[in-house]
Amino acid sequence: MDAETARPREIARSGEADVAIEWADGHRSVYPARTLRLGCPCAECHDELTARPLIDAARVPEDVRPLGIEIVGNYALSIRWSDGHATGIYAFRSLREDCPCEQCTKTRRNATITAHRPR
Amino acid sequence: MSTQPLSEALVRAALRVVVDPDLRKDIVSLGFVKDVRVDDGRVALTIELTTPACPVRDELRGQAERAIRALPGVSATDVRMTAVVPAAPSGTKFIPGVRNVVAIASGKGGVGKSTLSANLAAALARTGARVGLMDADVYGPSIPAMMGARDVPVDLGDRLQPVIRHGVKIISMGFFLKEGQAVVWRGPMLHKMVREFLGDVEWGELDYLLVDLPPGTGDIQLSLCQAIPLTGALIVSTPQDVAVDVARKAIAMFDKLNAPVLGMVENMSGYVCPHCGEHDDLFGTGGARRAAEKLHLPYLGEVPLASAVRERSDEGTPIVVADPTAPAALALTHIAELLAAQVSVRRLTLADTAPIVVNF
Repeated sequence: MDAETARPREIARSGEADVAIEWADGHRSVYPARTLRLGCPCAECHDELTARPLIDAARVPEDVRPLGIEIVGNYALSIRWSDGHATGIYAFRSLREDCPCEQCTKTRRNATITAHRPR
Repeated sequence: MSTQPLSEALVRAALRVVVDPDLRKDIVSLGFVKDVRVDDGRVALTIELTTPACPVRDELRGQAERAIRALPGVSATDVRMTAVVPAAPSGTKFIPGVRNVVAIASGKGGVGKSTLSANLAAALARTGARVGLMDADVYGPSIPAMMGARDVPVDLGDRLQPVIRHGVKIISMGFFLKEGQAVVWRGPMLHKMVREFLGDVEWGELDYLLVDLPPGTGDIQLSLCQAIPLTGALIVSTPQDVAVDVARKAIAMFDKLNAPVLGMVENMSGYVCPHCGEHDDLFGTGGARRAAEKLHLPYLGEVPLASAVRERSDEGTPIVVADPTAPAALALTHIAELLAAQVSVRRLTLADTAPIVVNF
């Protein structure tokens, strides 16, 4: 993915707690707050080598929400959460790759099927 | 033949043939042409470039003069050259007053990164640019010695005054260590140092802040890329294939962190014998150029392995200052100019330097 596709133009609130990103190419992604919190890429929440979740979903409040968002360097954002967590750095590239919209989910699913189709 | 009287509009139209080779646009569209005055047959104007270190400054002036003289009725021309280095767009989290931050990086150690950083900083300062040099190599800070900076930074209470040598504002861990003392730090301390060197040093107004990084892809590189949006990185390599392979790892890291690679430089490119002047490719040659071509990165040139470069550094005066007409000094100065040009290209042509709006 090139830097241009993975470049946010605007980051804003969507509804009560969700995070919306409008990308430089015009695409719009909306990330549900709790999913984003549970997907926190920091070393405390996910094993750095295996990416195995270390976070206990049962201990994350159902209504967890971002209190603030900051840009990290030129490549990522960090979120200050209502449960006190703030160490996650979400790379723009992975956010774009994991866009939860219907179209992107479908494209990803098709790519996986193509990759695993027996020859 | 045109019978139109000589006018500012006519002069501007004529100057559209002068194209900046890096930005690939004519100097009128780029807004470089200022203060056009036409008085009888005398034409005076200012060309405002994006860096005082512009590598094609004299060519642009020559072309502009020729274009104006070709107009009917021109008896004299007065073309002045100035420069204003473009800054990061407002709204980005940058160090106030510092327009561009460029990291000097390598995959491997011992490729001459610090020597190159010291010389590039001094060369840019010689062109009139306002330059800072941050030595981020805590393990082996060599910038103070290479720049002959023996003072210590003055503590201004909550801020530090950098040491100024050869026209360059310098900060280094080396200023705070006693001889023989070593820094044994884990990541969080390194992170803190990077943030303090960027944020708590009285840099003032700078066109370019060069950051001499330690080798590799570790904590300091990551901290730097997280703390600020880097304008870009310059990758230094020696010509050997292994060195070039490792340099590619550094490039991959900067790519992942969205810090653009502004170019590659080949250091220790051939040995020049100080006695007979004969050239010997000790480490081979052209490896970095080939890698740059393959990776579609700008190749900014090579610096020969000459003992004078090391001797001048040991004495505390970079060769671009001590002996500016030496072949290695000319090569280093040219690389500094090309680097400044790449910074301008980056600032003026690429959309991903636009600020990100956060409404949260």
